[in-house]
Amino acid sequence: MTLLAGPGIERPAPAATFGAARPVILLRDVTKTYPGGRSALRDVDLTIREGEFVFIVGPSGAGKSTLLKLLIRDEVATEGQVFIDGTDLARLKRREIPKVRRRTGTIFQDFKLLPNRTVWENVAFALEVTGAPRKRIVPDVDRVLALVGLTAQAAQVPTQLSGGEQQRTAIARALVHDPRLIIADEPTGNLDPLISWEIIQLLLRINELGVTVLMATHDAEVVTALRRRVVALEEGRVVRDELGAAYHRED
Amino acid sequence: MIPFVVFSIRRAWQGFWRNGLMSIAATATMTFMLLLLGGFWIVQSGLSAGLQYVEQKVQVVAYLKDDATQDQVDAAMAGLKQMPEVKQADYVSKNDALTRFRANLAERGQPDLTGSLDTNPLPASIEVYLVDPTDFAAVVAHLDGSPGVDRVDDVQQLVDRVTTVTTVIRTGGIVALILVGLTVLFIIVNTIRLAVTSRAEEIEIMRLVGASDAFIRWPFIFEGALVGLLGALVTLLILAAAAGPLSTLMLGFFRVLPLEFGSLVRDVAILVLVTGVGLGVVGSYVSVRSYLIR
Ligand SMILES: Nc1ncnc2c1ncn2[C@@H]1O[C@H](COP(=O)(O)OP(=O)(O)O)[C@@H](O)[C@H]1O
Ligand SMILES: [Mg+2]
Repeated sequence: MTLLAGPGIERPAPAATFGAARPVILLRDVTKTYPGGRSALRDVDLTIREGEFVFIVGPSGAGKSTLLKLLIRDEVATEGQVFIDGTDLARLKRREIPKVRRRTGTIFQDFKLLPNRTVWENVAFALEVTGAPRKRIVPDVDRVLALVGLTAQAAQVPTQLSGGEQQRTAIARALVHDPRLIIADEPTGNLDPLISWEIIQLLLRINELGVTVLMATHDAEVVTALRRRVVALEEGRVVRDELGAAYHRED
Repeated sequence: MIPFVVFSIRRAWQGFWRNGLMSIAATATMTFMLLLLGGFWIVQSGLSAGLQYVEQKVQVVAYLKDDATQDQVDAAMAGLKQMPEVKQADYVSKNDALTRFRANLAERGQPDLTGSLDTNPLPASIEVYLVDPTDFAAVVAHLDGSPGVDRVDDVQQLVDRVTTVTTVIRTGGIVALILVGLTVLFIIVNTIRLAVTSRAEEIEIMRLVGASDAFIRWPFIFEGALVGLLGALVTLLILAAAAGPLSTLMLGFFRVLPLEFGSLVRDVAILVLVTGVGLGVVGSYVSVRSYLIR
């Protein structure tokens, strides 16, 4: 991959750049309580503007995954409001949900690839289920596979790939809809450090193309090295929201 | 619309082969269940026809006086032919009765002593077969009132006994058929549910990449229909292969039964196809639904 620059090379964008941009994600006083459980998120206010690269950090169980699930309406907020591109997700009609999901690319720790389909088919799948015509699918899939550097592996199935290649397949799938927003839930959680950097570099490049990226992670080294905006969660509350920050508080 | 249907069917076809083991297991289960159902239906039809046959053996017999005139007999017969309850009415002359009696003795290997008689002691009779064995009252009344009739056999007791037995057997058969039907329904729907559950991850991924409910549901419904159709066709092939040897084996038995082979074949084919495809579709719909509603 040509993307392999070392850690720390990317400069943080100044806060002012995003001050005027429109909010892609807006959470207002959001609380999420699972049935029979305690609150996974409490009174969360969060604004993420177009073009930002934001880390969501915090210990296991802090509510990171819950936050991301609210954004793709996999879960619904118990209280408060969640807006994506100005759309109140709680007010969506059932049949509108898929359309909103297509505007967001999602990436997971466990890749979530279909094991008995090739790389090409896994990516094409995301377009096919939207009813896209074949003649549009082929060039789009080829284009994103080239972008993530998997053109040569297009005909392989996930079990023949390394972890990094599997995650790049998932990223290609997330990108194929041309989303304005990418949501990644611990995308490097299953990968060793070098491969993790490869994935991070890829996400940074996608961010440079203008796509907003929201990434939940445990990886202190990556977060601290990149000096981006960091939103820290603890027991469901936002305890820190800092630009150009490290993984841990540095007062 | 058409591209969507084509897409769904192609997806269903791919889904079937890509999950080959599960699909074969589901199709095999489907086949066993449809064989059970089809086989039971055939047995039940045979049983029902057998019962009908037994019931049709119930006859009203009117014995005629020796001095009954031909006109009286003709009048009684003509009256019977007009009655809707009557399936068939036969006149048995004194000579016919004797012939039948002798044949009967010979069949049982008993000595025939009737040769030593100088007159025929057996009466002539009219034998009436009924459409419905319990519907004998009008026939008996008509014969009782006909001149030339000596006495009419009391059929009440016989009818009661026969219909009690046939009703019990018939009800038992229907109950068993319903139980088999419910078992088949349960097992097929459950098998399909298992097959869909094994693809829960696929469904989840489809949802995450923004597939609409219809795009997730229809390929599974077509796949369920495909499993049902294949199961039904294999079942019909097996039944067709078994029909030849079976019918030669039971030809004698079947021939006497009031059973129309053509319509039985048609009924079983429809039953197996509709059940297979229908349960495949319903099973898939119900199973996928539980993953979509969230
Ligand atoms: N589906 C669920 N049902 C009930 N409780 C859940 C569910 N998902 C998460 N939780 C709980 O919510 C809290 C936050 O979980 P999660 O958002 O997964 O945290 P993180 O991703 O930061 O590890 C945890 O206490 C977890 O046990
Ligand atoms: Mg998590």
